[in-house]
Amino acid sequence: MKVTRREFIKSQAAVAAAAAAGVTLPVSTTAIAAEGDEGLRWDKAPCRFCGTGCSVLVGVKDDKVVASQGDPDAPVNRGLNCIKGYFLPKIMYGKDRLTQPLLRKADGKFDKNGKFEPVTWDEAFDVMAEKWKVALAKDMEDNKGKPVDQMTSRVGMFGSGQWTVWEGYAASKLMKAGLRSNNLDPNARHCMASAVGGFMRAFGIDEPMGCYDDLEHADAFVLWGANMAEMHPILWSRLTDTRLTKEGCEVHVLSTYEHRCFELADNPIVFQPQTDLAILNYIANYIIQNKAYNEEFVKDHVNFQTATTDIGYGLRPEHPLEQKAKNSGVGKKLPSSFEEFAKQVEPYTLEYTSKLSGVPKKNLERLAKTYADPNKKVSSYWTMGFNQHTRGVWVNGNLYNVHLLMGKISEPGNSPFSLTGQPSACGTAREVGTFCHRLPADLVVKKPEHRAFSEKVWKLPEGTLNGKVGYHAVLMHRMMKDGKMNTYWQMCNNNMQAAANINEEAYPGWRNPDCFVTVSDPYPTVSAQAADLILPTAMWTEKEGAYGNAERRTQFWREQVPAPGESKSDLWQIMEFAKRFKMEEVWSEDLLAKAPEYQGKTLYEVLYENGQVNKFPFEGQVTDEAGNAYRNHESADFGFYAQKGLFEEYRLFNSAPDIIKKGHEMAEFDAYHKTRGLRWPVIDGKETLWRFRGGYDPHVEGDQKVVQFYGNKDGRANIIFAPYEPAAESPDKEFDLWLCTGRVLEHWHSGSMTRRVPELYRAVPDAVIYMNKKDAKKRKLRDGQVAKIATRRGEITAQVETRGRNRPPEGLVFVPWFDASRLVNKLTLDATDPLSKETDYKKCACKVAKA
Amino acid sequence: MNICSCVVHTRPERSSEVRARLMEIPGVEIHGGESAGKLVVTVEDTAETQAADTLGAIGGVEGVINTVLIYHYGGEDIEQSIPEEGHP
Repeated sequence: MKVTRREFIKSQAAVAAAAAAGVTLPVSTTAIAAEGDEGLRWDKAPCRFCGTGCSVLVGVKDDKVVASQGDPDAPVNRGLNCIKGYFLPKIMYGKDRLTQPLLRKADGKFDKNGKFEPVTWDEAFDVMAEKWKVALAKDMEDNKGKPVDQMTSRVGMFGSGQWTVWEGYAASKLMKAGLRSNNLDPNARHCMASAVGGFMRAFGIDEPMGCYDDLEHADAFVLWGANMAEMHPILWSRLTDTRLTKEGCEVHVLSTYEHRCFELADNPIVFQPQTDLAILNYIANYIIQNKAYNEEFVKDHVNFQTATTDIGYGLRPEHPLEQKAKNSGVGKKLPSSFEEFAKQVEPYTLEYTSKLSGVPKKNLERLAKTYADPNKKVSSYWTMGFNQHTRGVWVNGNLYNVHLLMGKISEPGNSPFSLTGQPSACGTAREVGTFCHRLPADLVVKKPEHRAFSEKVWKLPEGTLNGKVGYHAVLMHRMMKDGKMNTYWQMCNNNMQAAANINEEAYPGWRNPDCFVTVSDPYPTVSAQAADLILPTAMWTEKEGAYGNAERRTQFWREQVPAPGESKSDLWQIMEFAKRFKMEEVWSEDLLAKAPEYQGKTLYEVLYENGQVNKFPFEGQVTDEAGNAYRNHESADFGFYAQKGLFEEYRLFNSAPDIIKKGHEMAEFDAYHKTRGLRWPVIDGKETLWRFRGGYDPHVEGDQKVVQFYGNKDGRANIIFAPYEPAAESPDKEFDLWLCTGRVLEHWHSGSMTRRVPELYRAVPDAVIYMNKKDAKKRKLRDGQVAKIATRRGEITAQVETRGRNRPPEGLVFVPWFDASRLVNKLTLDATDPLSKETDYKKCACKVAKA
Repeated sequence: MNICSCVVHTRPERSSEVRARLMEIPGVEIHGGESAGKLVVTVEDTAETQAADTLGAIGGVEGVINTVLIYHYGGEDIEQSIPEEGHP
């Protein structure tokens, strides 16, 4: 039988679909599929997009990714794929891929107001290093005679939860160990910082205790500000399966507007923005009033504390709201007791909470009863609704309070679970020390013993590491505008589109003549166009990588195809840039005197040729178990297996015998190339599904009755009372609507990749204003009509949509932020949670009128 | 040239009517799965239609509960035949 490639590929596609569905196909189809292979080399890779961490099979022909398939062996997605994942390979082949460095120039040299011209990597790094050296010289001057915990810095880097694990680690090392600057922060500040704060305050260790297996074990699901149907479609399909097949299973959906998840909701709840804090306290009150709490669990495993209140809104100190706040920015927790906590939640009655939140009493009661039922396993999920919140840490904590009161935690199906938006917000941003207050493996710059340990691992003289917390994402823009931070290197994200209040804070900082801004990206994003230097970046499977997803699963992939033109990975760029600095240019004389062997060396040699990072030779190619060979462009250039060396050095922070904080253990580098990921802690090659409970977590001795929250010294978790406090900006007479921003299924975040996939662009080309019919009518607006939406900070125009997938209640509009031609972040307010420093993108006041 | 496959969920008792409706869409082929309510469907570009748009249209067909994508091929060299003596 002569088979065309078309027929053959079609039969392959059908067989893959049949396998995923568990369906048998007629022999005529399978016979064609068995006839030969497609001439493709197939290998696994985690998806480039959200934090779910689906594995896809990537089919390569002639150095191009031409096919993809949901990975049938992946425990996360079991052969399925969402629409974004499906068109994943196409993100690499957008027509306007950058292929060479571009520098703003006039008259043949760098000019902040010049036009972009192509330059060589050498020229790009020369100009960039010159600017950084000026700033570093000022740092050394500014810091003369200062103790390490008062050191400041004028250089800064804005990293990413889309960085691979080793890219984040190499960057952390460059900034913190090399340049002695803690001005390194990831875009995860915009999405996960409040979740981190919640974990640290309650459990003393970051990231969820449960895992995706809870999706099959739970009897009830509660979504708190998470549109899983659009943002985590594969997890949503697992949840849907459980809801439709398990008797008595129920789904509660809470949001400030109706979205696609409401179609499955047994208890749909639309609440007034910010009142989630009150609803959670009502549930806690309900549990206590009805004596439903798990007395033994509370007695044995919980401490009670209370949060400092009236803490402001993370705005500039001179802002009236900060001036008015009694305890602006204070995170101190005060000791408390069960009795005191019970008294504190008592005012949150059904009556009061229903009135405040606008939620009918019967819906609130049904929700509370579900949590309070000792026989119902409850899994709670949240993303940006909780995290992008001026009381984000509090609201995360208030949910833990409910789970802890019931003891519904750390076991199959009982799971408060923070979902992530980025593929490696956990694995990279949170775990390798890319936050301005952190070092690898949950260590922090403030603690002298953590710095000392890190200095030992990194072979640095005592007192190298800066002990003062650096500038966080939002503060960086303020400092650039004020001229106090003078270099900024943004990698693997798009902050000129993502940051709030672009008009007043971001753009003025970037274009400040005292600042030099570098953007590394595969595409000419809004950020790239606002930069001074653009570096072309190898993306996703154009490099060897590792991501860590929301359930603590670390997944590796190999370099599948070469990057276009002169593009190089962020890892290459970070390490190569370090070659531009002599140690004398970055360390003060007295520090260098403590390490005479480093004198005259380059920063690259000290950081990356330290006998650890360059420990593993590179054989010229990477080979898989089937014998297929892959390139590795960084290792080929540096002459050692860079990814392996960096990962193994990182393991000295989380897996060596002398580590400070247990619980983050990982397997050896080579193990991950052979698996579909492993969930840490990995002990003796075995992953951990549920943490803090005997029988599941190797760090806890005993059976499943034994619970130990070992992140805290006393082994107990903290229930921390936090009250309802209003949002930073609420609708008033002039700006009479709430503005909530967010995402859509078809586009990923700022759309810099998905808007370049023709199919996805066509599906959803423009951001629209989702609005209630009555609100539209009041403003004499019709569906599809162009309207002007304005806040105190700016305005944009967009079409009105009253019948779409998102259906806001009266008084609120929703606008997605993926659209580069309608920057909704010109409108948003840069109010942050004073504790997590994460921006509230979900609440500010706006008005909408005919354009 | 795009070739995709997906699983289209229907209520088992409505599978055959959904199947009939899908068959009318250009570029769509059904390979099995009727009895389980999980139709195994391939979708390809035609002269007039793009596979991605067709996938979108399937979601709107009466009786379709859910569509899950599985496989995508987007290479150029689709029309050649496979040499009989070995792999290309």
